[in-house]
Amino acid sequence: MESLRAGPRSVADIAAEFPVSRPAVSKHLRVLKDARLVTDEAVGTRRVYRLDPEGAAALRAYVDSFWDGPLAAFAAAANEHAKAKKGRKR
Amino acid sequence: MTDLQPVRKEVVVDGAPDEAFELFTAGVGKWWPTATHSLFGEASRAQIEPRVGGRFYEIGPDGDEAVWGSVVAWDPPQRFATTWHVGREPSDAQTVEVSFADAGDGRTRVVLVHSGWTAADADMRSNYDTGWDAVLAKFTAG
Repeated sequence: MESLRAGPRSVADIAAEFPVSRPAVSKHLRVLKDARLVTDEAVGTRRVYRLDPEGAAALRAYVDSFWDGPLAAFAAAANEHAKAKKGRKR
Repeated sequence: MTDLQPVRKEVVVDGAPDEAFELFTAGVGKWWPTATHSLFGEASRAQIEPRVGGRFYEIGPDGDEAVWGSVVAWDPPQRFATTWHVGREPSDAQTVEVSFADAGDGRTRVVLVHSGWTAADADMRSNYDTGWDAVLAKFTAG
């Protein structure tokens, strides 16, 4: 994904950059595509990949919302704890 | 291969930083919502071993343990950090750092930063439409 940051590139261009085979790069790109982190299109005889900003945002939103539950539960417990402590002091 | 910006969450709670740190770590089993955010469900209990190298894990009702990550920084009462590999291999772990700062007025600002997005996250997302859906459904339900 890092290599797509600068802009759209073909499988051959990406493979030339890494010490892995072209099929391995294609496989990796398919996984990224299934996860909606990249999109592809045919340009002439080549397949060109680019980052999918919506997919990356969706993944980030998922992790962001994951923490809502635990943090809300923690805040409730902390506030309750502080209130109980205050009550004991009176 | 990090690509996405870290997720940053913030909450301000009543009480001093040392109390918040204590409750967040030693007291994690009291508040962590295992009903929605665990592998073994509501009867499960979260625990954090208070040292670098300690585990952040859950114990299910049958005594089964699932490790979520391991502690990589331990600086009470300011911060701690743990790796995070729920639903993935430990070698693909991300990092979760939680810091506690005096917010004045007897309150504490708690900031959680979840970082280390890699290509493995794409695998996770595709897995979660297939094999991991049952596990991750619980996590998203919260």
